[in-house]
Amino acid sequence: MNKKSKITLYLFSLLALILITQLVYLNSSKSMSADAKEKKILFVGLTGLPDLAFSSNSSYIRHRSLSMVSDIYNLDGCLREYDSATYAIANSKLASKN
Amino acid sequence: MKSKINIYLIEYALGSIIRQGHKSLFIAIVFTFLTALLTSIFFITNSIKYELNTTVDALPQIIVQNTKASRVAEIDVSSTDKLLDIPGINSVNARVWGYYYFANAGVNFTLVGIDEFEEQYSDTLEGVVKKGDFNSSGMYIGSGVRDILNSSYYKEYFNFIKPDGKIKKVEILGQFDSDTELESNDMIVMSKDTLREIFGIEESKATDIVVKVANVEEIGTVALKIEQMFPNTRVITNDDMKLSYENIFNYKSGIFLALFVIAIFTFFIIIYDKMSGLSSEQKREVGILKAIGWRVEDVLKEKFYESLILSLFAYILGVILALSYVYILNAPLLRDIFIGYSDLKPTFEISFILDFQTLFLVFFLSVPIYIAATIIPSWKVATLEADDVIR
Repeated sequence: MNKKSKITLYLFSLLALILITQLVYLNSSKSMSADAKEKKILFVGLTGLPDLAFSSNSSYIRHRSLSMVSDIYNLDGCLREYDSATYAIANSKLASKN
Repeated sequence: MKSKINIYLIEYALGSIIRQGHKSLFIAIVFTFLTALLTSIFFITNSIKYELNTTVDALPQIIVQNTKASRVAEIDVSSTDKLLDIPGINSVNARVWGYYYFANAGVNFTLVGIDEFEEQYSDTLEGVVKKGDFNSSGMYIGSGVRDILNSSYYKEYFNFIKPDGKIKKVEILGQFDSDTELESNDMIVMSKDTLREIFGIEESKATDIVVKVANVEEIGTVALKIEQMFPNTRVITNDDMKLSYENIFNYKSGIFLALFVIAIFTFFIIIYDKMSGLSSEQKREVGILKAIGWRVEDVLKEKFYESLILSLFAYILGVILALSYVYILNAPLLRDIFIGYSDLKPTFEISFILDFQTLFLVFFLSVPIYIAATIIPSWKVATLEADDVIR
């Protein structure tokens, strides 16, 4: 095995080591703990409201599962995309349910 | 037939990558960037979905909203008695909640009323509130609300402006635990009576009604009966919520469409360059290799190793960068697309989820295609006679 092959082997080993270390670290420190999960469930059970606290100024994103078409186009049919989150988060299919 | 890894071919492939210098470096950088970008987006969407799905079962089984002219309107509290007549319904609760616009900071708070701070609520509150007084009357706030109120010098209480213009002073009793920030950031929880006063909602009215069904198998049937009993209502079941959460991201348009189009075009420009044939220098190289005795098989193996080393290196590096970007740096720039522009933003500390499906998807969309795009033109040249290629 020449020098280039050894360097490549070390490089791939280093990448694999970094990846494994990173996965172990993230799994232990950044994954949802049982305690946090329980608190989240308790909180949602207390308020009974769905969705995450994103775009709190746009109710059709903040509580998208409870919003209606009139919430989405509450001012004008053309004014929906005034919140950047609408480029990623879709309308709830329930919006047209009545 | 047994196929062995030929270390000399790998060494030659490495030499070839180094000889091509800038070209190899450019391909590795673009490949890494594309892998990192795509996996970052998938990591974020997967984690958000995981957050939502964690709590979906804690949501009410059925929510009944009143609609008027296709808008959500207040519902009569007396409807609860009629609902209790439907067989299978265990309990019914008229809720009061809504949005309060705090003009000073230009943000909306979500205000939720709960039935006085009775024992069962106190127990729940103790579980989700970081520190607070559970005996007095007042409100509990999310961390985002706390920051906004602090910046306006409301540290111990807040003055709500009622519909008649009068002030309602409500004491801050505590703050929700930071573990619930993604759910509670803009939330204020207080007693139903206080909330009625702030919103000017009469005792006989409520925002919506939540229904609990004894047998979960009957939720659909009960929902249908409620729709028949109150034709102007909008009945949302827990299963509807689950379906809504499944379709939260608009993969067919918006940021995803832009991203996928850019990623695919950039990647296929590289592929097109590879597929359009080898450069005269590369053809000469293949010709010389054949002239000195290399078989077609050896040339293809060498090209396979060359493309595998380059693409696998870029792929692994891309995944490492994506993991760091999303879960350690909390996805700067990209997070703004997901959490919107409001000043009341949560910290976007999403939970880490190792999603092998995403990793395989990005792997199979990039590495094998790149390898094929390298091998096919080499095969075309390698099958020609050596003197034809060199000449």
